[in-house]
Amino acid sequence: MSFVNEASWDRIVRVVLGIVLLYLGWAGVVTGGWGTFFKFVGFVPLLTGLVGFCPLYTLLKFRTNKTG
Amino acid sequence: MATIEEFNLKLKDQQRPLVVDFWAPWCMPCRAMEPTLKRVEQQYEGTVDVWRVNADEAPEVMKALKIYGIPTTAAYRDGQEVARRTGALPQAELEGLFEAALTGEKPLRKGLSANERILRLVAGLLLVAFGWAAGPSWVLLALGGVIIFSGVYDRCPLWQAVAPRVAKLFQGASQ
Repeated sequence: MSFVNEASWDRIVRVVLGIVLLYLGWAGVVTGGWGTFFKFVGFVPLLTGLVGFCPLYTLLKFRTNKTG
Repeated sequence: MATIEEFNLKLKDQQRPLVVDFWAPWCMPCRAMEPTLKRVEQQYEGTVDVWRVNADEAPEVMKALKIYGIPTTAAYRDGQEVARRTGALPQAELEGLFEAALTGEKPLRKGLSANERILRLVAGLLLVAFGWAAGPSWVLLALGGVIIFSGVYDRCPLWQAVAPRVAKLFQGASQ
């Protein structure tokens, strides 16, 4: 898929990070302002990791997937 | 076409590229795939022929061709099998088989790659596990469920049956 601009390692790191942040937020491990922050920010690395596309990379003209 | 001799004889006389659908009336995935197959059949009308072989009426053919699961869809060119897939196939994979019958080349696999599928399934399962351990957290459970489904949607016969109708509804609403 040509729109994929993340390498496999990048995608795995993002998915793991997303899951950890969402768990910390939604499971109530972290509460207060940070908890709320994690609840929503966790979706960003999870979704970009699953799709393989990072819009920020496009803006910065950067990519970790060198094969695309 | 109850015997393999009849099948081979008919195959020998076949002029056009051919796709064979091995199915059975009781097979739900076969029924789910049928509208998609008909759609693709219409796209290739006049260039690729389609045979439908009822597995119940042709057990000898199934045994001789080593077909152990249905639906199985096979592409033939010049009397030779060039590709075969088992399971209810999405439209893209069926088109790939029709192209294989036309060109004689093995079809490129479309849709999710194996790595993509594994990533989605593992991420979804982890979310479900964490969601369950967290109380349960319905948000994590639902998110995990959606991500697991996104890893298998193209293999789901129910989705294949429902998706074209939903797409049609949206098309109708936008016109």
